[in-house]
Amino acid sequence: MTTDPRSLPPGLSRRTFLGAGALTAAGLGLFGCGGQSTTKSGGSANLQFMYWGSANEKAAIEQMIQQFQKSHSDIKVQPVHVPGDYETKVNTLVASGNLPDVAYMTAPTAYRLADQGKIANIYPHIEKYAQLSGRKPQNFFWYGDKKVAGTPAASEISLLWYNKDLFTDPSTVPPATADKAWAWDRLVEVATSLTLDQNGKRPSDSGFKPDRIRQFGISAPLTTQWTWYPLIRSNGGDVTDETGTKYTLNSPECVKVFQDLQDLIYKHKVAPSPAQLGGGADGSNAPTTTVQLQTKRVAMAIDGQWTLLDMGESDLKYGIGVLPSYQEPITQEAGSCRVMSATTKHPDQAIELYAYSVDGANSDLFKKGLWMPVETKYYSDDAAIDSWIKNDVHPPEYRTAAVDYRLNNSVRDFTQVLKNVPAIQEVLTPAIEQIATGKSPAKTVLDSLQAKVEPLLQGRYPIPNSI
Amino acid sequence: MKTKHGVSGQSRLERRWGLLLAMPAIVGFIVFTLVPMAASAVISLTDWTIGSAASFVGVDNYLQMFTRDPLFLKSLGVTTYYTLGAVPLTLIVAFAIAMLLNAKVRGLGVYRTIYYLPTLVPSVANAVLWLWIFNPDFGLLNSTLRQLGMPTSNWVFSEAAVVPSLILMSTWGFGNIMVIFLAGLQGVPRHLYEAVAIDGGGAWRQFRHVTLPMMTPVLFYNLVTSIIGTFQVFNQAYIMTQGGPNNASTFYVYYLYTTAFTKSEMGYASALAWALFVLVMVITVVLFRSSRRWVYYEMGAAR
Repeated sequence: MTTDPRSLPPGLSRRTFLGAGALTAAGLGLFGCGGQSTTKSGGSANLQFMYWGSANEKAAIEQMIQQFQKSHSDIKVQPVHVPGDYETKVNTLVASGNLPDVAYMTAPTAYRLADQGKIANIYPHIEKYAQLSGRKPQNFFWYGDKKVAGTPAASEISLLWYNKDLFTDPSTVPPATADKAWAWDRLVEVATSLTLDQNGKRPSDSGFKPDRIRQFGISAPLTTQWTWYPLIRSNGGDVTDETGTKYTLNSPECVKVFQDLQDLIYKHKVAPSPAQLGGGADGSNAPTTTVQLQTKRVAMAIDGQWTLLDMGESDLKYGIGVLPSYQEPITQEAGSCRVMSATTKHPDQAIELYAYSVDGANSDLFKKGLWMPVETKYYSDDAAIDSWIKNDVHPPEYRTAAVDYRLNNSVRDFTQVLKNVPAIQEVLTPAIEQIATGKSPAKTVLDSLQAKVEPLLQGRYPIPNSI
Repeated sequence: MKTKHGVSGQSRLERRWGLLLAMPAIVGFIVFTLVPMAASAVISLTDWTIGSAASFVGVDNYLQMFTRDPLFLKSLGVTTYYTLGAVPLTLIVAFAIAMLLNAKVRGLGVYRTIYYLPTLVPSVANAVLWLWIFNPDFGLLNSTLRQLGMPTSNWVFSEAAVVPSLILMSTWGFGNIMVIFLAGLQGVPRHLYEAVAIDGGGAWRQFRHVTLPMMTPVLFYNLVTSIIGTFQVFNQAYIMTQGGPNNASTFYVYYLYTTAFTKSEMGYASALAWALFVLVMVITVVLFRSSRRWVYYEMGAAR
């Protein structure tokens, strides 16, 4: 088949038509390859800042960058928003040597890139910046002596959320201070009283239909460590021993917690199974906690602090409580690592941006509820505390249920201190799914997991007692 | 346009233009398919983790699959199970509906559009839609089954039912295959049906002795492309199940993807890709061999 010249627009010969086509194709190709490198033009430094997050986070980051550029007129920052498949993007950029100057990073990837020398050791800069030196040692990602891969911009903890409309009896309201935390049995009691089937019957009533539950007492998704890890720590258990080389998830303390969580769903029938929660094995497509509380699908839910942003924007009357406690009240704390590229062309400017971006004063996401600041002053100094929690989003009980709770009762997420986490998760996740689907008792699953996890254990990253 | 004495000017001109116009496709194939394939073949012989230096390990990655990686066999098994279910089911449904849509009824265009519509739904939207259809409490399937007094299932949320559920869901995407069948059906010569009718054959004999044999080339084409496509199933695991529960839906390509981009083990992931390529190639060759026995071409030499 040949091209009929008559079908082309007048004045456009076949040759120019084809030429234009070739140019367009070449242009597209060049466009696809370009735009990643940082260049120096006219004495000002161009930096890239890569991050993930929702539309809210995107707006906040862009605003933060605007402010930064105002106070640093010689630095131009290009924000790169990656809403999904972040690891894929990072891997591609690392493979092609185009890591952005400053970027969000998950803990396992940050440690790996630090070991590979792809990201800078920020330890030498800590002293210079108050927003870095004003943090505790456990707020950094240490990959060796005086070696720091990064620090989070924000912190998160695990909390017990509830819909206030469903708690008319004051004695059933989840406690908001750690020392009054419920024992597990009390949680089951309250959850039972708040679980209703389509006919309004409770699990304790006769004729209760467990396959037609309208309202669950509590959502405690087993598929995330935000639920189970603080609880096993509360009971004195852990994933590994202190050296990080011996598997201990099948200790009686851990087995008890996992069995309790499984029993919530399949024995007491007060919590939704992953299937009832909807949204795939990890629940990522399930309705948000806010929606579940709002629609009274659940009365209480264990979820991270970050969900406060979502709650604050809804008209739900939400309340915050501390997690139930076994031996001592414990919650889990974590924050993603912010890293700086080791190959940045402008290290001086990049560290300025880095320090600015992790400063608890430079983002409105703290006031909006998405983030908790990391610097110690925001938990110990009243004026500093008020600067982020005195607003409509943060309810009155937030001070004790979140601020004090994080300061006094938090342990760090094991995925942020253990080595070789991606490989460990690959065997841990399916095993916990077996518990979550009620297929096998917790002890059977956790015992059989030992042989799979133990060969993967390579120790922990060190956390020094002081910076 | 070949003449006995070489190539005519017209023909040379056409060849040059033909090549030029095909260039984008050829360049695309070389740059985006051939070169990456060659690169991945080399990478598959290394232990490259993204960010680290790669060292040559020979066929160690391939040995690892069969000796030290239970997930390789698991994911291969899951994918084969899915393929054995999804391909025949989709072909049968697509063929049956193509036959119906080949009938002369009023509003045919409307029906054809309706049956093709699901294919146009983006696969992510489709996956989320089906998650709700599969919801054990409120989902369409369980609600209907409950109304009929039949036992319900946990569908994609149960280890045993997840692959059958996804097979069921796969029939939803029969539209493209159906269109190809429909085109094939319209190419079946009328006079053959008339011949059967004259000999006293009914609808079944028309189907058995005319439609089916005349459709074997189309059937064969759809079978081969479906098997190749289905072995690369990814979206359902990625969006709906994350490979769970307990790896029951860890499809091969999903496993390959997580190896490459979650664990960053590019060397091993490349080896996995090549193992799949070889496997699919072997299956395709076997199918082509078998086709000589059951695929009928009207023009015998055209195969």
